[in-house]
Amino acid sequence: MATGTKDPTTEQRPNDDGAPSDAPARRRAMPAGRVLVTILVGLLVWGVLYAPELKRSSEAQPDGIRRTVSLAILGPVVWAEGRLGLTRLIDDATSALGRNPSLQVGGEGVGVDPLPPAPPITNTHPPRPPRRDTPLRDPTTSKPLRVVVVGDSLAQGIGTFAERVFRPNLVQVFRQGRISTGLARPDYFDWPYQMRQIVKRARPDLTIVMIGENDGQSLVDREGQMVAQIGTGDFPDAYEQRVLQFARIATSEGGHVIWVGLPQPRDSRRWDFIGRQNEAFAQAAAELPNVAYFDTWNTFTAPGGGYTAYYRDGNHVTLVRADDGVHFNADGYTILMRLVADFAGTQFQLDPKTYGG
Amino acid sequence: MLFPTTDFAIFFCLVFLGHWWLNHNARAWKAFMIAASYVFYGWWNWRYVFLLAGVSLITQLAAIAVSRQQQPRRRMTVMGLGVAATIAPLVYFKYYGFFTVNVTNAATSLGVHVAPPLIQVVLPVGVSFYTFMAIAYVVDIYRGDFELAGWTDLFLYLSFFPHLVAGPIVRPNELIPQLDIRRDPRHIDIVGASWLILGGLFKKVVIANYLAGAIVDPVFGDPTRHSSPEAIVAIVAYAVQIYCDFSGYTDIAIGVAKLLGFRFPQNFDRPYSARSVQEFWRRWHMTLSRWLRDYLYIPLGGNRKGTVRTYVNLMITMLLGGLWHGAAWHFVVWGGLHGTYLAVGHWKQGRRDVGKLAEPPDTVLVLWLQRITTFVLVCIAWTLFRADSVATALTLLGRTLTAWGEPSPLITVPVLLAIGIGLATQFLPHRPAERLKAALSQLRPVPLGVTIAVVLFVITTLGPRGVAPFIYFQF
Repeated sequence: MATGTKDPTTEQRPNDDGAPSDAPARRRAMPAGRVLVTILVGLLVWGVLYAPELKRSSEAQPDGIRRTVSLAILGPVVWAEGRLGLTRLIDDATSALGRNPSLQVGGEGVGVDPLPPAPPITNTHPPRPPRRDTPLRDPTTSKPLRVVVVGDSLAQGIGTFAERVFRPNLVQVFRQGRISTGLARPDYFDWPYQMRQIVKRARPDLTIVMIGENDGQSLVDREGQMVAQIGTGDFPDAYEQRVLQFARIATSEGGHVIWVGLPQPRDSRRWDFIGRQNEAFAQAAAELPNVAYFDTWNTFTAPGGGYTAYYRDGNHVTLVRADDGVHFNADGYTILMRLVADFAGTQFQLDPKTYGG
Repeated sequence: MLFPTTDFAIFFCLVFLGHWWLNHNARAWKAFMIAASYVFYGWWNWRYVFLLAGVSLITQLAAIAVSRQQQPRRRMTVMGLGVAATIAPLVYFKYYGFFTVNVTNAATSLGVHVAPPLIQVVLPVGVSFYTFMAIAYVVDIYRGDFELAGWTDLFLYLSFFPHLVAGPIVRPNELIPQLDIRRDPRHIDIVGASWLILGGLFKKVVIANYLAGAIVDPVFGDPTRHSSPEAIVAIVAYAVQIYCDFSGYTDIAIGVAKLLGFRFPQNFDRPYSARSVQEFWRRWHMTLSRWLRDYLYIPLGGNRKGTVRTYVNLMITMLLGGLWHGAAWHFVVWGGLHGTYLAVGHWKQGRRDVGKLAEPPDTVLVLWLQRITTFVLVCIAWTLFRADSVATALTLLGRTLTAWGEPSPLITVPVLLAIGIGLATQFLPHRPAERLKAALSQLRPVPLGVTIAVVLFVITTLGPRGVAPFIYFQF
C-alpha cells in the first residue's frame, strides 16, 4: 500500500479563479446519483438545442457507421423540433449568438482572405480561354499579380507560405484553402460554385490548386445524392470530370492554374488511390491550356522511392512533413511554395522578381 | 480523446457510473480506472498504450531497484540509471529528428559526410507529462520523500485520464495517497466542477480558438504583410490565446477529477497579474515550474553554490525547459530569454538585499508599471514561442516598430473584446462568482442540468466550428 509523506487533500489551495478548492460551506454538494442525473439532463438538453448543428456536422462526415448512427439519432430529433416549432427558436438563438444557422458546415473559412467585390460589368467580352499556354502578365506595383490558393488543408498551408514567398508589392495573395473540403462532397462545400465566385470577384492571374486529400469517399451531388460509389468503375471517370470542370472554371476568365499534386502520405495503403487522383490532375493539365501539373509525389520522395519526412537539397537535410504523415510543416510548405513558384516561372514565365527566384 | 467532444461526454458518463459503482471495492475500482484511462489514451492511437505501459513498467522497476539499495552512492547510481531509462523513450520520440537533422547538417558544413537513418518519429501525445511524473516518482523514492507504491497504484498514477495528456504534473504524494482513500459519493461539488469545466470550455472554445483564427495565425503566418498595430495586437492575442487554451484545459481536467472525488494541484494563478518574471513563473504552469525547480534546478545546486553558479543553473533550467516544449531552436531561445529575465531579476534582488538598490515604492502606479513591464517581457518571449522560427519571430518583433500607418483590418471589435475578456479573467474579483456558485448549488438536478445545457449551447455556438486540439498536446 502506498503511503505519501503528506496528505494533499488536507491542503487549502486556491484555484485559478482564486476561490478555495473545496466547496465552501455555503455551496451545497450533491450525491453521485443526482450528479449523474444533472450531467445527463445537461447533455440531453444541450443535444436537443444543438441537434440541428450536430446533424449538419454529421451529414458532412464521410460515409461510415459513425455518420449512419449519428444521423439515425439526430434525424428524428430535428424532425420533432421542426414539428414543435423549436427549430425556429433555436435558429433565432443561434443567429443572435453570431452564427448563421443556414451556412454550409464547410462554409466557415478560418484563415480565408475576404474576396474583393466583383469588378463592374463592362461591354467588352470576357477573354476566352486560349488554345495553348500563354505567359503570365508582368506585374507592376500599381497592378500586382493576383494569386489565389484554393483547396483543402494542404492549400491552407501553402496559402500561408505563398504570402511569405511572393513579394507583397508585386503579388496579391488570396488564401482560399478550406480544411476538410474536396471535390467529392459539394453537399459539404461546393468548390465549383466557390471557384466561380473567386473568378468573378478576384479575377486571379494564377490559381494554385491543392485538393483531393479528403476525396477518398463516394462522390455525391449538391443534395447529397450518390453520383459514383468509391471503388466502382464509375468513380475514376466521374472524379476526372470533376477535376476538369474545376480547372475549366478556374481558367474561364483567362487565368492560369498550377495544379499541385498530392504528396505521398505515410500510410502506404492510400498510395494507389492517391496515385490515380494525381493521374486525373495531370490528365486535366495535359488537356487544358494554361493548366500545369506540379508533381509533389516524386519531389518529396525517399531516394529509393517511398515516403520520407525529409527533403534533401544537395547535402542539406530538412524535416518537411508534419507528424500526421499527410501535411507539411512550416519548412515543408515554404520549400513546396518556392518550387511551385519556380515551376510557374518555367511553365508560364512567372517573373522571377515576384518571388526572388 | 479530446475533452470538448461528444466522444468524451459519452466516455465520461460511463466512467462516472463505473467509478462510483465500484467505489467500495478498491481493487476492482483501480482495475476499472486503469482500463478506462488506457481506453482514453488509446483513442488517439491504440499503439500508444504500449508506450504508456512500458514507461510505467520501467518506472516501477527502477523504483524497486532504488528502494532496495541502502548504500548511498550505489543508490544514487541506480536512481540515475532508472531516470535515464525512464526518460529514454521521451528523448527518442521528441528529439531524434531534431538531433539527426542538426548533426547531419553541421557535419556536412564541416565537410564530413554522415548519414544517420532519417526516420520520422511521431511524438505520442502526453508522453512529456507522464514521463515527468515518472521521474518525480523515482527521485522521490530515492530521496526518501515517498515510499514504493504498489504496481496498480503506480500504473494508475501515471495513466489517470484527467491529467494524462497535458497535466497538471501531479506529484506522487498528491495523487497516490488519494487512490487508497474511499471517496465520499454523498458530497460531490457539482457546481464547482461544472464551473471549472464550462469556464475552461469557454476559455478554450470561445476565446482561444477565436483569437487563433482571427488574428494570431494570419499575423504569425506572414508578419511582413501586417501593420505594426496588427503585429502588437497579435502578440498580445497570442498571450491570451495560450493562457486560455492551456488554463482552459487544466480547468477542465481539474473539474473532471473533482467529479470523481479527486483533487489536483493548481496549475495557473492569474499569471498576467505578476509583478515580475519570477512571480510569473510562480503563477504560470505551476506544476511544471515546481518540477523544474525540484528535479532540475535544486539538484544542479540551485542558489547554494555562489552567484555565478546560480545564474548558470537558472539558465540551464530554462534552456532545458524550453527544449522540453519542443525540439526546435525557437523554443531553446524562448527558454534562454526567460533564463536571462530570471538571472537579471535575481541579480536585482541580490542588490536590494544588500542595500545597493532601493526597493520600489509600494504605490498603485508602480504596481501597474511592474505588471505592464512583466507582461511586455513575457509577450516578447511568447513571440519566440509561437513563431515557427527565430527568424519569423524577429521579423514580427521588428514589424511592431516599422509598419505604422498601414491598414489594420484584423483589429476588430470582437478581437479586442476577446483579448479584453481573456485579460479580465486575471483581475476579476472572486466574491460575485462565489455568490453565483452558491446560488446555483441550491438548484435541484433538473434545473441545474438545464442551466448547464444552456451555457454549453452558448459556448458551442459562440466558438468557431470544429475541434481544435489544445496547444499543449504537442508538448
